[in-house]
Amino acid sequence: MLTFVGLGLYDERSITVEGRDALRAADHAFAEFYTSRLVGTSVDALESHHGIDIEIRDRAGVERNPDPILDAAEAGDAVFLTAGDAMISTTHVDLRLRAVDRGIDTRVVHGVTAQSAASGLTGLQNYRFGKAVTLPFPRAHGGDGVPNSVVDSVAANRERGLHTLVYLDIKVDDGRGPDAGERFMTADVAADLLAAEWPDRLAVAVARAGSPDPLVVADRLAALADRDFGDPLHLLVIPGEIHHVEADALRTLAEAPASLLPER
Amino acid sequence: MGRRKKIVQECERLMDKPENIRNIAIAAHVDHGKTTLTDNLLAGAGMISQDTAGEQLAMDTEEDEQERGITIDAANVSMTHEYEGDNHLINLIDTPGHVDFGGDVTRAMRAVDGALVVVDAVEGAMPQTETVLRQALREGVKPTLFINKVDRLISELQEGPQEMQDRLLSVIHDVNELIRGMTEEMDDITEDWTVGVEDGTVGFGSALYKWGVSMPSMQRTGMDFGDIIDLERADKRQELHDRTPLSDVVLDMVCEHFPNPLDAQPRRIPRIWRGDAESDLAGTMRLVDEDGELVMMVTDIGIDPHAGEIAAGRVFSGTIEKGQELYVSGTARQNRVQSVGIYMGGEREEVERVPAGNIAAVTGLKDAIAGSTVSSVEMTPFESIEHISEPVITKSVEARNMDDLPKLIETLQQVAKEDPTIQVEINEETGEHLISGQGELHLEVIGQRIERNQGIPINTGEPIVVYREAPQEASGEVEGVSPNRHNKFYITVETLSDDIVDEIQLGNVSMDMPELERREALQEAGMDKDTSQNVEHIHGTNILIDDTKGIQHLNETMELVVEGLEEALDDGPLAAEPVQGALIRLHDAKLHEDTIHRGPAQVIPAVREAVHRSLIDGEIRLLEPIQDVRIDVPSEHMGAASGEIQGRRGRVDDMYQEGDLMVIEGIAPVEEMIGFSSDIRSATEGRASWNTENAGFRVLADNLQPDLIEEIRQRKGMKLELPPSVDYI
Ligand SMILES: Nc1nc2c(ncn2[C@@H]2O[C@H](COP(=O)(O)OP(=O)(O)O)[C@@H](O)[C@H]2O)c(=O)[nH]1
Ligand SMILES: [Mg+2]
Repeated sequence: MLTFVGLGLYDERSITVEGRDALRAADHAFAEFYTSRLVGTSVDALESHHGIDIEIRDRAGVERNPDPILDAAEAGDAVFLTAGDAMISTTHVDLRLRAVDRGIDTRVVHGVTAQSAASGLTGLQNYRFGKAVTLPFPRAHGGDGVPNSVVDSVAANRERGLHTLVYLDIKVDDGRGPDAGERFMTADVAADLLAAEWPDRLAVAVARAGSPDPLVVADRLAALADRDFGDPLHLLVIPGEIHHVEADALRTLAEAPASLLPER
Repeated sequence: MGRRKKIVQECERLMDKPENIRNIAIAAHVDHGKTTLTDNLLAGAGMISQDTAGEQLAMDTEEDEQERGITIDAANVSMTHEYEGDNHLINLIDTPGHVDFGGDVTRAMRAVDGALVVVDAVEGAMPQTETVLRQALREGVKPTLFINKVDRLISELQEGPQEMQDRLLSVIHDVNELIRGMTEEMDDITEDWTVGVEDGTVGFGSALYKWGVSMPSMQRTGMDFGDIIDLERADKRQELHDRTPLSDVVLDMVCEHFPNPLDAQPRRIPRIWRGDAESDLAGTMRLVDEDGELVMMVTDIGIDPHAGEIAAGRVFSGTIEKGQELYVSGTARQNRVQSVGIYMGGEREEVERVPAGNIAAVTGLKDAIAGSTVSSVEMTPFESIEHISEPVITKSVEARNMDDLPKLIETLQQVAKEDPTIQVEINEETGEHLISGQGELHLEVIGQRIERNQGIPINTGEPIVVYREAPQEASGEVEGVSPNRHNKFYITVETLSDDIVDEIQLGNVSMDMPELERREALQEAGMDKDTSQNVEHIHGTNILIDDTKGIQHLNETMELVVEGLEEALDDGPLAAEPVQGALIRLHDAKLHEDTIHRGPAQVIPAVREAVHRSLIDGEIRLLEPIQDVRIDVPSEHMGAASGEIQGRRGRVDDMYQEGDLMVIEGIAPVEEMIGFSSDIRSATEGRASWNTENAGFRVLADNLQPDLIEEIRQRKGMKLELPPSVDYI
């Protein structure tokens, strides 16, 4: 059996109870942290908290050479851990399909993901989100500045009055795990990149979602570019048309300047 | 005022009179006396002292050149000469004779309008005579002939007037055969460019003893061959020199028979520049207009210990001056001219300005490399210089002291900039860098230069031959899947025709040229119209065709596709040697919605693998470089000499008598030719002279493929087993 378990947003306690039970009962635990990570904990802390050894797989060890994971799942109960949810944004559906191919039973235990926080902390309604995008570090996508597809997607969402969730890039040099040489794109850097396109547009920065001290700030992109939002992880939302309850929420929960919100 | 200063002033005055300017090169087979002759001309023009001419070798400025006695870098020099009561400015470029340095010769030819071809009277026209002549004619440069070392015919070979005349005529005949053959197909050369004694386009003499004659000089001085033979035999060489000095004869010939820029540029511009013939720029270049926009073609990058990097080249239009902001082809930035000058021997003299028609030495053009077009307005660059110069030998270079590492890297990068026929691969991790060049000697010289000029002690590895990999037939369609399986690329490979490969190598097809022209050039070389319209990228001699239609996000991803393609082609599937002559077609692609999931970690490996698998499906094979070999040897050593070719997997194509020597011609693989010089010497008791020239790449016989592939993989630390799909060899 291969069970995909989402670890949630922040630390060893962000996992669901169901996920925790699956993890603790497993014969083998694998994890990948090259797509996202839990900033509030370490692999060691995870291991000792749950009383189980966790084998970290890098990108090649998941995408190119997943056999050890599948072998373990064939022989016993294996769990595969990711930050957030294993099937949202970074989808590991490919690994699941390979398992099914080999006749291995699979199960998904959901985790809390950035998508939840984007609505949950900003008050922007999840019905009103359009296509999500990732803002890569310049050069990581083979070009300069903001890729056209990002600009196009935000513009297309706006045209339909929809909000855009902007995931921010993580650069993991060796994919080894939470502590090894990473760089996180922060919301101010992202705002700066996007401000080149829309300096005066309202955006919401969300820092440390899922942690005890999350921060939510709404302002013009150019203004957000000058702020410091503290420790990672960050994400950004670019609102489309703002519903009156959403406006109230942004004003109250995110200190949005009145001038940027609709009057009624 | 010093004499030198006076000459500089005179040069400056003459620079503005294009009708009095001659831009010339001296070109010859190695050791035929080019450098000695150049020194004579300089001495004759008062640039160096008469006494030391011939010993001083003013043009061989690099220490290693003076030591080896061969000229390696083309150096530049200006001098003045009075002809028919009128002073002339002669800008002269010395060119290397050794074939390993062929790239320099062609670049020098771009800057000049006339080539003085020097041939040794005893040896006659040799393979490199043919090569340099071809390089000159291809650039539209007019030849004249100087037959050197005539003293040896008299004193050593004891020839009488008749024998001597016969021999000289046969040299002239041979050279003319070459010229005729090469100019036949050039429709922009309508005059007869063959040389003749009666026309005054042939001179004879001795560069060593500084005397020379030509038809006009004999008429002027009244000296004939008989007089010369008498004086030479009587060892009265000083008198010979005094009565008929070499420099006058040669420089008169230069002034009389070489075109000045006003005559030459209208013919040469269409040959070397493909821009709009109706434009203002075309007009000012044809007219050598010093008031036009500036256009200069850089032919050489040198290093001055004080001034730094110096770009030398021909000014075709406008006037170059300090402070100008100039465009450099191939880069986006502009460079500011820091100083301009002209060359006097190895030294540069700063001047205020250098107008059209002259050779200028410029500092401040940081982005220029040999071959750049430099201009005051953005323009179509000059045709790439036609020289097929694929490196065939590689050596590793390592700094002996860790502290020298940064300096070594800098020097290597500089070397590559100065000599585009050198390729440098820097490996900062291991510190073991690779330089690739035209032959053993070429690399040896570069290595010594690094040690001596830069004072960096280095270790160099054994020479390693550079191989190629090329598909032999069309492949089926291959699907390349990204590691996350969200992206797919559908690719096939075909072989490119030799015609198209040649056009790419000659620079007639490149991504730098306007799309329309590229299409036309490709169609002319035999590519079908649809394919030629979809060219997305050219890498080495390989072409990527994008046959996809309207795939969302592909344009954003193409840069990564190209990166994957280049990785696949730089390190081919058999032995990580460069791939050549492949046409890669992208038929379709499936891409993830979000940039992150179609980033470099996904797209590059997907494309790289697909290209490799399609190359394998196209029956890719290893190719090895081969050389044309010519050996001149006394007949008693003929067997031993031809054995040296045959014993090296070579092939003897021709053997014939020439004078009292036998000539053996054939081909052999470069790999087997390593160490040839000492072997042939011992096989023939040092009596053979020989010459090699790179002759491209050839598919290695199938029975030799597996072992060589394994050997290369081993050397490179790759895993030894090949992909299982390589089962066809
Ligand atoms: N006897 C004789 N030797 C010459 C003459 N010209 C050059 N040499 C010698 O030939 C050799 C090669 O000359 P060099 O000018 O370096 O040839 P390059 O390789 O063409 O530049 C030197 O040893 C010269 O002294 C000449 O007219 N007569
Ligand atoms: Mg020389």
